[in-house]
Amino acid sequence: MISLTLDGRAIQVQPGTNVLQAALSNGIHIPHLCHHPDLRPSGGCRLCMVEIGGRPNPAAACGLLAEEGMAVTTQSERLTEMRREIIDLFVSDHPLRCVTCDKNGVCALQRYAYDYGISETSFDFELSRTLYQDDNPMFVRDHQYCILCGRCTRVCDEIVGANAIEISGRGFVSHVATPFDWAMSDSTCVFCGNCVQVCPVAALMPRGRIGMGREWELEHVRTICGYCGVGCGIDYAAKDGKILYAQGFPEAVVNGEFLCVKGRFGWDFVGNPERLTRPLVRRDLAHRLGLIDDPFSLPEESVFTSRIGVENFVPVDWETAVDIVAGQLLGTVEAHGPDAVAGLTSARCTNEDNYLFQKLMRVGIGTNNIDHCARL
Amino acid sequence: MSTVIRIGTSTCGQAAGAESVVSAVNAYVDRRQVPVTVQRTGCLGACHNEPLVEVTDNDVAVLYGPVSPERVSLVLDRHFGGGGGRWVDPSWILSRRPDHDDFPFLARQTKVTTRLCGVIDPMSLDDYLANGGYMALRDALRMPPEKVIAAVKDSRLRGRGGAGFSTGTKWEITRRQPASPKFLICNADEGDPGAFMNRTMIEGDPHRVLEGMLIAAWAIGASKGYLYVRAEYPLAVKALRNAIRQAAEYGVTGKNILGSGLDFEFVIKEGAGAFVCGEETALMHSIEGQRGTPSMRPPYPSVAGLWGYPTNINNVESFASIPSILLHGPAWFAALGTEQSGGTKAFALTGAVRASGLVEVPLGTPLRTLVEEIGGGCKSDRPVKAVQLGGPSGGCVPAELLDTRIDYEDLRRTGAIMGSGGMVVVDDTTCMVDFARYFLTFTQDESCGKCVPCRVGTRKMLGILTKICHGQGTHQDLERLTRLCETVRTGSLCGLGTTAPNPVLTTMRYFEREYVAHVDAGLCPAGICSMRPGTSTRAA
Repeated sequence: MISLTLDGRAIQVQPGTNVLQAALSNGIHIPHLCHHPDLRPSGGCRLCMVEIGGRPNPAAACGLLAEEGMAVTTQSERLTEMRREIIDLFVSDHPLRCVTCDKNGVCALQRYAYDYGISETSFDFELSRTLYQDDNPMFVRDHQYCILCGRCTRVCDEIVGANAIEISGRGFVSHVATPFDWAMSDSTCVFCGNCVQVCPVAALMPRGRIGMGREWELEHVRTICGYCGVGCGIDYAAKDGKILYAQGFPEAVVNGEFLCVKGRFGWDFVGNPERLTRPLVRRDLAHRLGLIDDPFSLPEESVFTSRIGVENFVPVDWETAVDIVAGQLLGTVEAHGPDAVAGLTSARCTNEDNYLFQKLMRVGIGTNNIDHCARL
Repeated sequence: MSTVIRIGTSTCGQAAGAESVVSAVNAYVDRRQVPVTVQRTGCLGACHNEPLVEVTDNDVAVLYGPVSPERVSLVLDRHFGGGGGRWVDPSWILSRRPDHDDFPFLARQTKVTTRLCGVIDPMSLDDYLANGGYMALRDALRMPPEKVIAAVKDSRLRGRGGAGFSTGTKWEITRRQPASPKFLICNADEGDPGAFMNRTMIEGDPHRVLEGMLIAAWAIGASKGYLYVRAEYPLAVKALRNAIRQAAEYGVTGKNILGSGLDFEFVIKEGAGAFVCGEETALMHSIEGQRGTPSMRPPYPSVAGLWGYPTNINNVESFASIPSILLHGPAWFAALGTEQSGGTKAFALTGAVRASGLVEVPLGTPLRTLVEEIGGGCKSDRPVKAVQLGGPSGGCVPAELLDTRIDYEDLRRTGAIMGSGGMVVVDDTTCMVDFARYFLTFTQDESCGKCVPCRVGTRKMLGILTKICHGQGTHQDLERLTRLCETVRTGSLCGLGTTAPNPVLTTMRYFEREYVAHVDAGLCPAGICSMRPGTSTRAA
């Protein structure tokens, strides 16, 4: 372990820890915009500058490895003045339209502008980027808010590996771009939206969230993504019972903050009126089992080519439904033997579910006719 | 010995029309059937007199310039007769002695790294060999690498890219790294406006750079060397390609060089025109195929450079100094310079001076010697006002400090830096606010945009300077500018940003009255600034 002091407080960290991580994990907040715990340090925002005892110039804490005996000052008059100046420079190229901004309340730049008392820039305001790109159904790129922290490009490179975006151009007028500024869909983007996740400002926003409410009006529900067996933690932000966006959260054990396209953007089925919410039994079977009085017969065409509307089904409770399925299975096994039954399970089930299902087939029913959709 | 006619055909010579001079000389030789050898050489440094033609005979060596194609027969008739006594302007004759010590521009110089520039044919390996080429490599390969490093340390050679870190120490650190392979990079991404030291050295004597790198490779244990050259230097790239091919044929690259066990190969990487790629971490990203932006140090390249492997980066001039150190000994090299820095430094002397070009002087030489004796003062006959050193990263030294010695520490005390060798002289018709504004235009344009102080800060600095040049500046602006300079200087990620305020800080320090005149009286004392908004910043 390495011992150092932060603002006079003695702390110990693992070798290889940078000073910013050391401070954050010990409850000392050093302002930062480009740093993200899962990405390699960039050092572009220059907000995490700290002073080190014995060195004339401040250094960025995110790129500074903790050393034995290092004495770090994270707050001082000089640093405050410097951070104020840097935030001042940021907001000279970032519209402070916080009242109507969807990021209001969770914007990192807004947070530091508040902390350091910067309500407007003292420089001439000049917007370097005005591009507004809504070329895909998932998210919107509003470049006027971009602060070029590079988190999006790094997550795309380091975590996702898609490398769909990189900073293009040079200096003041550089911007985050797909190759040749093609539409997102023509790039190598996989629409995982992890760039949206890590964007500290309103430059990358989920489309469905825009104009739908202030952040503090939203209800957050954490759950496990139902799309596959990985079991990613997912956080749905909803207003009035309607989901506005999905995001990852750092505490999620399996996936951290990162999600795939399905988890992040594929949730609109939740509110679909055609979604099945209760077990249904077809009317002919329900009549045979004595659940309804009226007889019913299937249309002439095959069930595979003809649509059987919801009106041809009877809602039942789960116990009844399970009883029916079990009875039918047992009847088939008794009449035709266990190999007359086959089981096909789904990649959307968890590993545990799939394990139990093959147990049911092999031990309960007594057949090896078991397969899985992901093998197809 | 037959007569040799040498014509400087470096980029500077070609820009002055050297190719047509070569044709005219060849035509003359064909017509007159005179027994001469016509040789194309690099640049002798006297760029202000290009195209240069030197005629050497058994006991005669006359250097002419500028020689236009029309002057060729006039000049050559002097040597081969038949001119009918036509008059040759005496000012065309620059020197009559082989060592040129009758030519003030060259007489005050001490040429080490540029010794053969303009003397040998850069495309000829034999020319280099005949002048002691690759003898230093031969000697180095017979020494243990540690002794080579010790020699470089003893020579007190410091990084000629401008930062001035001890070259020997850098080699030692790289050698000590356990990781393998190790890489070598020669930084020839010379980008300062008005600087052409690297270009002249490579175009004039490419093998010297290769030899320096090979010695470094032996000392460090490197197996591959990248030459990062600006794509805007096509002649330099051509000379290097030719030299690398010749070196391979000669057996000084490849496997088991001269039986030493050293394996080494050269790779040329052409830069794509970004100034920031001269910064070592950005340069390495560029070689790796990444976007050319700097990253934070440490780790330094010596520890984790190209693809994470130990990488030693030196400037062209540092490498070009190495063969002489090995041949003449570290003590000789150290004795050329000052207590802290050995050897010589090349400068691209430009601007208002009478004689511009590439000059090489021992470290410790006063700036005045360069400006007044070598450069011949201002061609306008007006007083020198200041000298800008180190291009947009450097600062200006005012005329009253011209006795400052050329030395890393002495120059830093003035607020300027040694830099890579750009030296722009201005006379008293220059507005120093406008001058600073010019350099900020450059840095602002060349900022990569990665860090905020540089990306936005230099933009705002330029904005304030433009305002002042438009006669709209206030004292508040001056105060704002000073504070902003401090933020950009201490807050930026790489050297481009941290040094960008230097031209402003030094002009404010030495020429504060000019800033105040712009702001208070709405006057540009030099009469350069338009002092009107909405116009060009320059007065018509």
